[in-house]
Amino acid sequence: MTEKGFRDILGALCSGNVEFILIGGLAAMAHGSARATVDVDVVYRRTLENMHRIEQTLAPFAPYLRGAPLGLPFRFDVATISSGLNFTLRTSIGDLDLLGEVVGGGDFERLITHSETIKLFGNDMQCVTLAKLIELKRAAGRPKDLDAIAELETLQDELES
Amino acid sequence: MDDIIEVYKKDIDRSLLRENLKLTPQQRSERFEVAMRLIFELRRAAELRRTTKRLLEAESASKQREA
Repeated sequence: MTEKGFRDILGALCSGNVEFILIGGLAAMAHGSARATVDVDVVYRRTLENMHRIEQTLAPFAPYLRGAPLGLPFRFDVATISSGLNFTLRTSIGDLDLLGEVVGGGDFERLITHSETIKLFGNDMQCVTLAKLIELKRAAGRPKDLDAIAELETLQDELES
Repeated sequence: MDDIIEVYKKDIDRSLLRENLKLTPQQRSERFEVAMRLIFELRRAAELRRTTKRLLEAESASKQREA
């Protein structure tokens, strides 16, 4: 990931009319978190039309499974997306976690009711609400998220006070 | 889990968060990019330093073997 990667990846998804919801560290930043992150995490809609859009949008950026040995016969197309669910990808413009479902939030259809439209990096996009983001982090139950949860709950306190 | 989160909350700089909350998400993303640019530059500088150090150590070891 480079400093432009966040803008480039999200810009590509928006330009390609991909239906997605921003979650993770960038969603936290959007809500006021002061923490750095190097991940772009999104929940994508698993319709055939949207999977076509994802394939076409990411194709110019050579998506490949992050951490997999080079040279595997990997094709990131509709067949691959529909037979899988969650993909951790490396692309020529940065890393992207493309999630069909997320623990504590379910799929796109469930999560969209807990999202809001925000403008980020010059693009309007759906972003999970602060309250739901806290729920997702709590549901994930990862030790590395505990200080992030503390910050997000403090943000919520500040907004409510 | 809640007990640990409460301990972490004590170290959070609320003034920093209050400043962030005055901004729009777009403004936050612009600030974030500036901050990440600095972080990536520091990472690149650290990597360059490590590489240079390894090369110098390898060169030094080579000279010692030759001597």
